[in-house]
Amino acid sequence: MDVNSKPEFRLSSPSDFFKDLEAQLAAMRQKAADALPGSSWSPLELNPNLPPERADIVIVGGGVVGWSIAYWLKQKERVRGEVKVVVVEKDTTYSQASTVLSAGGIRQQFSLPENIHLSLASADFMRSINDHLGVLNEDPIDLQFNQSGYLFLASEQVAHIMEENYSIQRNVGAKVRLLSPTQLKDKFPWINTDGVVLASYGLENEGWFDPWTLLNAFRRKAVSMGVFQCCGEVTDFKHLTNMVMTADGEHLPLRRIQSVKVQMPNSLEYQPVECAIVVNAAGAFSGKLADMLGIGFGPKNTIAGIPLPVEPRKRYVYVVHCPDGPGLDTPFLIDYSGVYFRREGLGGNFITGTSPEESEEPNTRNLDVDHQFFEDKVWPSLAHRVPAFEKLKVTSAWAGYYDYNTFDQNGIIGIHPLINNMYFATGFSGHGLQHSPAVGRAVAELILDGNFQTLDLSGLGFRRILTQEPMMERNIV
Amino acid sequence: MLKVLLPTLMLIPTTWLVPGKWLWPTTLLHSLLIALISFTWLINMSEVGWLSLSPYLATDALSTPLLVLTCWLLPLMILASQNHTATEPLNRQRMYITLLTSLQFFLILAFGATEVIMFYVMFEATLIPTLILITRWGNQAERLNAGTYFLFYTLAGSLPLLVALLLLQSNAGSLSLLTLTYSAPTQLPTYGDKLWWAACLLAFLVKMPLYGVHLWLPKAHVEAPVAGSMILAAVLLKLGGYGMMRMLTVLEPLTKELSYPFIIFALWGVIMTGSICLRQTDLKSLIAYSSVSHMGLVVGGILIQTPWGFSGALILMVAHGLTSSALFCLANTNYERTHSRTMVLARGLQMVLPLMTAWWFIASLANLALPPLPNLMGELMIIVSLFNWSWWTLALTGTGTLITAGYSLYMFLMTQRGQLPMHIIALEPSHSREHLLMALHLLPLILLTLKPELIWGWSA
Repeated sequence: MDVNSKPEFRLSSPSDFFKDLEAQLAAMRQKAADALPGSSWSPLELNPNLPPERADIVIVGGGVVGWSIAYWLKQKERVRGEVKVVVVEKDTTYSQASTVLSAGGIRQQFSLPENIHLSLASADFMRSINDHLGVLNEDPIDLQFNQSGYLFLASEQVAHIMEENYSIQRNVGAKVRLLSPTQLKDKFPWINTDGVVLASYGLENEGWFDPWTLLNAFRRKAVSMGVFQCCGEVTDFKHLTNMVMTADGEHLPLRRIQSVKVQMPNSLEYQPVECAIVVNAAGAFSGKLADMLGIGFGPKNTIAGIPLPVEPRKRYVYVVHCPDGPGLDTPFLIDYSGVYFRREGLGGNFITGTSPEESEEPNTRNLDVDHQFFEDKVWPSLAHRVPAFEKLKVTSAWAGYYDYNTFDQNGIIGIHPLINNMYFATGFSGHGLQHSPAVGRAVAELILDGNFQTLDLSGLGFRRILTQEPMMERNIV
Repeated sequence: MLKVLLPTLMLIPTTWLVPGKWLWPTTLLHSLLIALISFTWLINMSEVGWLSLSPYLATDALSTPLLVLTCWLLPLMILASQNHTATEPLNRQRMYITLLTSLQFFLILAFGATEVIMFYVMFEATLIPTLILITRWGNQAERLNAGTYFLFYTLAGSLPLLVALLLLQSNAGSLSLLTLTYSAPTQLPTYGDKLWWAACLLAFLVKMPLYGVHLWLPKAHVEAPVAGSMILAAVLLKLGGYGMMRMLTVLEPLTKELSYPFIIFALWGVIMTGSICLRQTDLKSLIAYSSVSHMGLVVGGILIQTPWGFSGALILMVAHGLTSSALFCLANTNYERTHSRTMVLARGLQMVLPLMTAWWFIASLANLALPPLPNLMGELMIIVSLFNWSWWTLALTGTGTLITAGYSLYMFLMTQRGQLPMHIIALEPSHSREHLLMALHLLPLILLTLKPELIWGWSA
């Protein structure tokens, strides 16, 4: 080291300033914009993720049903900014959400007219989705809606159910066609029609689409219309309880939610959101939310003792690759044995799976996939029905939760009799995604108009659960 | 005057020393007694001249109605606040009542002041308890914004007033209201004098508020707790009107020309804010804008400077004070039950709370100036005096009356009629306290129909 040399200091001379003039001026402008009114700088350091202190409607659950309700609430309000809507989602990566793990199918082949109407309305919505959910200056939405139809195969024992369902579906307006085994073989030569007596094929508005795109389309449009989104978990409710005596002399606790406690992720920070209405669209986790309010913890044989019959059920989906498999017009095939498959993409990949027996339900602690299940339960029936699938390779698999309605496997839409201001839109047991646009509109009509306007879904309300009259789908599987 | 001031002052130690469970009944009774004592000012109302005269405080026919309104409002505020402060710790409740009482104290001093500087100081002093009420007990994060708007709009308006008053003091030698009316009209030829004229009135116009500088009012009213909204709507706005009426005596002869734009602003504001009311979704915001609308008419009546104009303005101020306060109380009963101020989420309430509907009906009718209530009398006198000045104002005031009827009915029909949504079927029944509150608002209004001499000021 040279002792004679002076230590080097960097002096900020005027020439330094002028060297980077553009950047310096931009920085000064930025500072001025931050300081003047109109910028979002505030002396209080608030967590930007916190929900507002009060909102009109809090939607718990940021899946496709939750965002659909948020969109329709904003769509139906008559003055801009009429209702303040907050959507609370506990996991914005959607790692366990049923929406994005769904196979994404939509069908009208139900036996309940309500379900058929819901699917028809949702299919209409999705066909013209850019008219509804298009945002100016943003990319148009491509749902990749493959309208390849659903194909149900019925055996001897269940053929009569299929025929009755067919007439209901045609009455309501679904475009479905019955096929005999020969017609089936004609149309889809790769099917082994062994044991198949009747087939029901959807000609229009049936198929599959990309659930992630639909979710994001709803979310983008709703946020552009002013819905607040918040990443957090609802851990508690603050409510007022009134004891009411019914005409039979029964004492019922009527609860009215005053505020919702939203806990920030990985933090002790929470925000109580004072609200007028709470919508339970939490999907597989709706039961947990209902437990927080004490639904189902009353004495047995009273209304207060009936819990919300929604619990998570794990379902596996396997992606298989079969180059000799069925071609591009493959419908979403559902066999009477319960096995289903559909084409995925254009490279000879297929998605397949089946519902396990009631006694063999996998535990729902996590979303690990049981590959043995494929070997034991899925592959044999699949290969039997489609001989080309004897030679296939499982490339990947995942598991997702159904928000399974243990009572009658159909959605619950409406207000709970004991919680004055909580609306439910849950329990769809595997067909929530396909009904989401119409369900969103129905719940928005309930909230803003006071009653159903376009579709009368009062059959799907809580009444059937209280009177213990299940509205079961007459399935062939 | 001391017979009202000292009990009001002593209400503060009372709130702090009373045991917890007697806090609200005691303060209610105490303030009710103060209100009843304040009625003694109403004797000899037909006399022109000062009563309860002392060198510093006095009452006359202009300030007495407003003083009585102020004293009447304190028990009503205490009645209205009892429910929503019930969950707070006791000392905070005491603090709340102390703030309301101190506000009352400053307001009595303001209305009773004989010296304009004292009026100014009290005018400013009322800002502080109101600001604390809004920012501490308001409901949402926006209350900080509301407090800032409220404080700075009013301060920005009143700083020129201070300068103007000091100028007047140095010119006229005294600012005592007792002698100000007898001073010789001054020559005010220069532009500086015109600026001085504007400075004298700006603070009161902001306070009234005049359309154009009214932005603080919807924010402050909406974010304030119910007692804050009540006192703001009922009395604090009237401080502006009262100040204007007092100051106009020294502002001759400039007012004849210079008031022109302000009258037009006021009348245009009646229509504009009325139209805004028609598209409001927030109930309190609707009532706040309706306040701006009515006060626009009052500003017009005051600036026109005729006996009927002044009389109409005073009647409308008192009637509007009672009506607006009643509407805010009704909106609060809604809010306490549904926790939302959005009108679309709380409709069809006639099915659930029919007795409250009766109060809603009377309050809405009063708001739209139904005869024979004093609201109509005040409005008619102002409209007539404006018409006398210029026939064209009839177009503006007529449209304003029409729109007022429109939004008052809209508010009533939206909240009471229509399909009852499913989430407000089981609401808490109306408390007797709420019925008492509404009765104490609306009964005096109805009784004033029978003896309007109490509130029509100097026009004996």
